[in-house]
Amino acid sequence: MTASPEELKEQLQHGVLEFDEDAVVDASEQAVEAGYDAYDMVMNGLAEGMNQVGACFAQGTYFVPEVLMAADALYRGLDILRPHIQFDPAKQVKGSVVIGTVEGDVHDIGKNLVKMMFEIAGFNVYDLGKDVPLDKFVDEQLRTDSDIVCLSAMMTTTMVGMPIVINKIKAKNPNCKIMIGGAPVSADIADKWGADGFAEDAPNALQEALNMIGTLKELGAG
Amino acid sequence: MTANGNSRQVVLDLLNHRPVDRVPCFSGVGNVTTSGLKQYGYRFPEIHVDAEKMANSALATYEQFGFECVVAPFDMGVEAEALGCQVNYYDDGSERILYPTIKGKLSEKIADLKLTLPADFSTVGRIPIVLEAIRRVRAKVGDQVAIGSWVLAPYTLAGQIVDLNDLLKNSYKKPAMINDLLSKLADAIIQIVTLYRQAGADFITVREMGATSDVISPRMFGTLILPHLQKVFAALPRPTVLHICGDTNQIMEHMAASGADALSVDQKNDLAASRTKVPQALLFGNIDPYGLLVQGNPETIDAGIRKILANGPDAVWPGCDIWPEVPPENFRALMTTMRQHGAKGGSPQ
Repeated sequence: MTASPEELKEQLQHGVLEFDEDAVVDASEQAVEAGYDAYDMVMNGLAEGMNQVGACFAQGTYFVPEVLMAADALYRGLDILRPHIQFDPAKQVKGSVVIGTVEGDVHDIGKNLVKMMFEIAGFNVYDLGKDVPLDKFVDEQLRTDSDIVCLSAMMTTTMVGMPIVINKIKAKNPNCKIMIGGAPVSADIADKWGADGFAEDAPNALQEALNMIGTLKELGAG
Repeated sequence: MTANGNSRQVVLDLLNHRPVDRVPCFSGVGNVTTSGLKQYGYRFPEIHVDAEKMANSALATYEQFGFECVVAPFDMGVEAEALGCQVNYYDDGSERILYPTIKGKLSEKIADLKLTLPADFSTVGRIPIVLEAIRRVRAKVGDQVAIGSWVLAPYTLAGQIVDLNDLLKNSYKKPAMINDLLSKLADAIIQIVTLYRQAGADFITVREMGATSDVISPRMFGTLILPHLQKVFAALPRPTVLHICGDTNQIMEHMAASGADALSVDQKNDLAASRTKVPQALLFGNIDPYGLLVQGNPETIDAGIRKILANGPDAVWPGCDIWPEVPPENFRALMTTMRQHGAKGGSPQ
């Protein structure tokens, strides 16, 4: 008896929420075998599960270990489903993003969660990792002609490298959108430093990026 | 002149739970400033690896501003380096202030970690440099000002020597394995602190910012973190401070149960509420080191510090390391406000 798409999406959501990697793998394999829409499974199964994890984190019922375990479960499913996603320009975002944690900062948990959200949404992600020299962001943006650059910092002491990168990228490519995030960063600071976006957490980072891409496309069309 | 005598006496009386007639203004963690570096012509990367430069940089904040402490070291790599990690000092000639970070973890997977403590910490990594810096500071200031030193607490130190993702996930999945690791690191911390005290440090701050409620649950703090803090504080020579920057509002009772003489919190802490949660504890805080001291100006600092004083801290001190590029006029404004408003409200002792 084959499970319905709805049942499998629910199993994926639940598997992510409960960090049940086996359940996620099982549902993903069943979905592929049955020929269900892989994009639907990713967005309305895995990503929806991660949204619920985000809500638990915001409420203070989940903490970083729980989020990391949920992300592991999500990636197990994404690895199986992603090769089966049919490219559909109407549904999928076309965009690319350079992401990394700024020099002096070796924290990458937040950056990796934001990266995951971009990967789910179908962005091309160029991940520079952590402790990234500031000029490398500038070079990588030029090399890949990415629409968005995301800078992360966990510490006040490294956050202050962000305006240097923002100014350098804007000087070379004023249309590139720059988003910053991380524990010490605030909307005020983002505004003051001339960043285009600020995100408190990974789901917000994705939404902010989609908005910025929208603006870019309008600019391109105009 | 205060009833307690000089600055060091006030600070030590406070830390030893004796009555004091004013709220001192000092720190248990890094407070080196670029203004201090300029006085000696030092670059930031070199003050972590040279005893004389470390000592002078630490002294400069006291000398220039009258901040009531001299604290060394400055970076979070000392203990991890002594355990075998590689440290990046960012000594590339750049003018930017970058604190040293760990570039080579001892092990990516905790399950594969073979950790043996050095037989004598006084000879490994930069511990000898820190010890020499403390001795030099003591020789220079005598008993005029309190000398502080600090270490990372077990969980935060664990995050330096192994992969942080692996540490966090296994804190949930395999707490017994993490307990073994933390217990060993507690032993290392006790040995290092004992050396710092022998070299002349008056008080020790233990930093557990890896275990705030931004990261792990208050429940996990109680079951996994607290027992090791209790082990550390039971073994350390007093006085001691437990410092946690980040969200601490839900773990004040746990912090108070650690056995530390004083608790240090940052600007995320509701100090007035904490006062009622742990009425017996000495509470130190909670200046926002960047938002107020760096981004503020003398007027906002005066108002901000008076607001902190109104919440009844036992010491006014920064919620984390002083950001070195603090404008000197802002630092002076902090100390001026404390001189004007730091006296205790007339209760006869």
